[in-house]
Amino acid sequence: MKALLNCTVNGAEHSVLADSRDTLLDLLRDRLGLTGTKEGCGNGNCGTCTVLMDGAPVNACLVLAVEVPGRSVFTIEGLCTDGALHPLQQALVEHGGTQCGFCTPGIVLAAKALLDENPRPSEAQIRHAIAGNLCRCTGYGKIVEAIAAVVQEQSR
Amino acid sequence: MSDGAEAAPALKTIGQRLPRVDARERVTGEARYPADLALPGMVYARLLRSPHAHARILRIDTTRAAALRGVLAVVSAADFPELPVGAMIPMGEVGYDMWMVAQINIARRKVHWVGQPVAAVAAVDPHVAEAALALIDVDYEPLPAVLDIASAMAPDAPVLHDHVFTKGIEPRPRTPGNVCSRTVIERGDAQAALKAARATARLSVQVDTAHQGYLEPQAVVAQVDANGFATVWASTQGQFTAELMIAAMLGLPASKLKVVPMEIGGGFGGKIAIHGEAAAVRLSQKCRRPVKLVLSREEVLQGGSGPPAAALIDVAVGAGEDGRLLAITGNYHLDAGGLPGLSPSLVMQASAALYQCPNLDLQGYDVVTNKPRTEAYRAPVGIQAAFAMEQAMDMLCQQLGMDPLDFRLRNASVTGSTMPIGTPFPSIGLTTILERVREHPCWRDPVPEGRLPRGRGLALGYWRGTSMTSAGHITIAGDGRPMVTMGAVDLSGTRTTMAQVVAEEFGLSIDDIHIHTGDSKSVGYSDGAAGSRVARTMTAALVEASRDALAQLRRRAAEKLQCAADQLDYASGMFRARSGGAAISLAELMQATLTDGAIVGRGVSTKLPLGVEIGAHVCDVEVDDRTGLVTVQRYTAFQDVGLALNPAAVEGQMEGSVVQGLGWALTEGFDYGPDGRLRNASLLDYRMPTALDVPKIECVIVETPVPNVPYGVRGVGEVPIVPPAAAVANAIARATGVRITRMPMTPERVLAAIERARRGKV
Repeated sequence: MKALLNCTVNGAEHSVLADSRDTLLDLLRDRLGLTGTKEGCGNGNCGTCTVLMDGAPVNACLVLAVEVPGRSVFTIEGLCTDGALHPLQQALVEHGGTQCGFCTPGIVLAAKALLDENPRPSEAQIRHAIAGNLCRCTGYGKIVEAIAAVVQEQSR
Repeated sequence: MSDGAEAAPALKTIGQRLPRVDARERVTGEARYPADLALPGMVYARLLRSPHAHARILRIDTTRAAALRGVLAVVSAADFPELPVGAMIPMGEVGYDMWMVAQINIARRKVHWVGQPVAAVAAVDPHVAEAALALIDVDYEPLPAVLDIASAMAPDAPVLHDHVFTKGIEPRPRTPGNVCSRTVIERGDAQAALKAARATARLSVQVDTAHQGYLEPQAVVAQVDANGFATVWASTQGQFTAELMIAAMLGLPASKLKVVPMEIGGGFGGKIAIHGEAAAVRLSQKCRRPVKLVLSREEVLQGGSGPPAAALIDVAVGAGEDGRLLAITGNYHLDAGGLPGLSPSLVMQASAALYQCPNLDLQGYDVVTNKPRTEAYRAPVGIQAAFAMEQAMDMLCQQLGMDPLDFRLRNASVTGSTMPIGTPFPSIGLTTILERVREHPCWRDPVPEGRLPRGRGLALGYWRGTSMTSAGHITIAGDGRPMVTMGAVDLSGTRTTMAQVVAEEFGLSIDDIHIHTGDSKSVGYSDGAAGSRVARTMTAALVEASRDALAQLRRRAAEKLQCAADQLDYASGMFRARSGGAAISLAELMQATLTDGAIVGRGVSTKLPLGVEIGAHVCDVEVDDRTGLVTVQRYTAFQDVGLALNPAAVEGQMEGSVVQGLGWALTEGFDYGPDGRLRNASLLDYRMPTALDVPKIECVIVETPVPNVPYGVRGVGEVPIVPPAAAVANAIARATGVRITRMPMTPERVLAAIERARRGKV
């Protein structure tokens, strides 16, 4: 069954015809063509599809598209609109915090949610904030370093 | 070709800690993986998989599925040519048997594991495709299954394949069996030497199947045009290997197919073989629409891709009073899954290679069981072998009362000492690594005191790697900048390190180099990105291509500057006449000769000397003796990389590889039920390390260049996964006095071992 949904993604209003079985992840990737959000498991275990809903990180594969109207969704595409990288993205580039890149959009948004909430997290708090995001390439060290560097830069 | 000595002059770009040239599209989500593609008219495929671990397929009827509204095509084995056993294509030491690749992709007559594909369907949307699977009628005759090595080798075991007679046994067996091959490495008389040794240690270990754990499930989009030409957008470790496999499975001539490698969301060995790509092309041929197939995570884990091998390994080692090794013996049983697997030879070599030992007796067995056919995983079977051998060496040190580092130094292989296969070692830096360990605080500092038992473990790792073929070419843009096309996919930062190599050769900045991976019709044949071979061999190919392009540019510059080509100096993008001072930049030269045709510098590397990888790891753990929980508190990895093209990239490979090793060491293991079904086929129940589970991995890079390899580069990415389980096990033993012989070393298993030891002491 199809339903017409009105939703706000990265500040823009959209009216989308979606299948009632669609998840927010399907809505973003298949209906809106926002493929920066990746699917790693489809059942909320890997964190790859992390997006922000009303500012809080959620697994887009665990949210139904029909739950989205009235909420504000923020994806990786919303972070870098004028061509300049967000400091978290820049730090991941400089510190080698991205390898295959598949987990990276989710990690960026999980880290953004942390810094929006707590601008001066400890290393333990950083690790805790990204503990729901699996990365198989980096071993996490360079990701944690990158986020910590942003914290240090912003606390100056 | 240069040799290692050439690395000595100051390098400008090679050796710099530069960010990845492709990092920007990764952090913005713009990097395109196959699942991100959407083509006009695209339809969606799903695979029907076997519910049985072992069964004969009596009948497949697709009539009801094909009649479902929205279904466009259904295929089964009947839609593919039947390939004979032994139809080989090149890849690696022995190539791939296409009969096996075909079975992995679509079962014919029998199924050999739960999850083996049986049929495929394409439909207008994924929901319809899913619904159609339930309408494919398959009649099975279930057969008794064998799920582990011991039951597969039992005398009355059900036999998986009627054509498998154990190779390597004289006389050849008269009946088929589940042992596919036996491999032997022998030197001297190891059994007699073991009996005569002053100290001996014996250990039997069991290693569970794990998974490569790449975050991106296998995905492909296939499109066949009106002329029958097929384009396949794939997540693959090798576009040429994938092309050979797809072409063989479909009976397509090579000129009717190209494979476009998209970004790959991790491979680690699991994306060398195809898993559904040929079915997607066949469906596209049938329904004349582009077809997308994306595996679910459950499919990836349950049998839709190949996990690495489970193993049973028994080793014994013996040494004299002076701590010199006298004998190493080993029995290696590897669980290949439902089809014959990798030769055990590499793992046997790997486990004994780092020690000079006069007597060896190593025997390996490749055994089939009714589980998913295994695939490579980063230094395939290296970690299993080290888990046995490096623990045995540690036990021997305890017997001798000898420091484990001193013991390794006393017995370490050196350049020129004899490898297990009987040939002399090429240049290696093992003793240098061990000296660096000795000086490092991770070894010198005492283990910090804690409330719970703590210990420190040392383990070594060896991986031979491979060379095979890499090709690339360089054209020069109208602005004088090199445009590099390489035949290898980028698994580990290859575009960045290869841009550094070309920048070095041209004396330009890395920002002046454009680099990409070509599809299988736009660049010379290259083998897959596997076996720690790409950085080393592609460096050789692109050094050759750079020098070829520069030689062509030199001829043009000589003509323009009206002097002899050998009277020109080249540096930093500029040709300059040695006398008179006339000069022309690459940009001016290309503008002046724009109508003279393309500059194409070509390079290919085959049979380059090996760049064997060696590492030593030191690990501190804390063991909660009430729960069995092991916490890794400090981890330092030492590795000889020949020359670090980009130290940040090298560290990235080492850190990621170590953490994969720690995952398998402590939490990652497949749990098969008695019906052959995987009981933990999700990333919640198959537990990979999170950021909370591992410490920062410290890396110490040692550089012993490989002679006769440009810039002296060694393989990097594989060997760091080899020592971690043994390093952790040795640390646990030092902390608790207990040896853990089953991997992963879950809290349950560690606690059981501790309690057994306690009961034994009472």
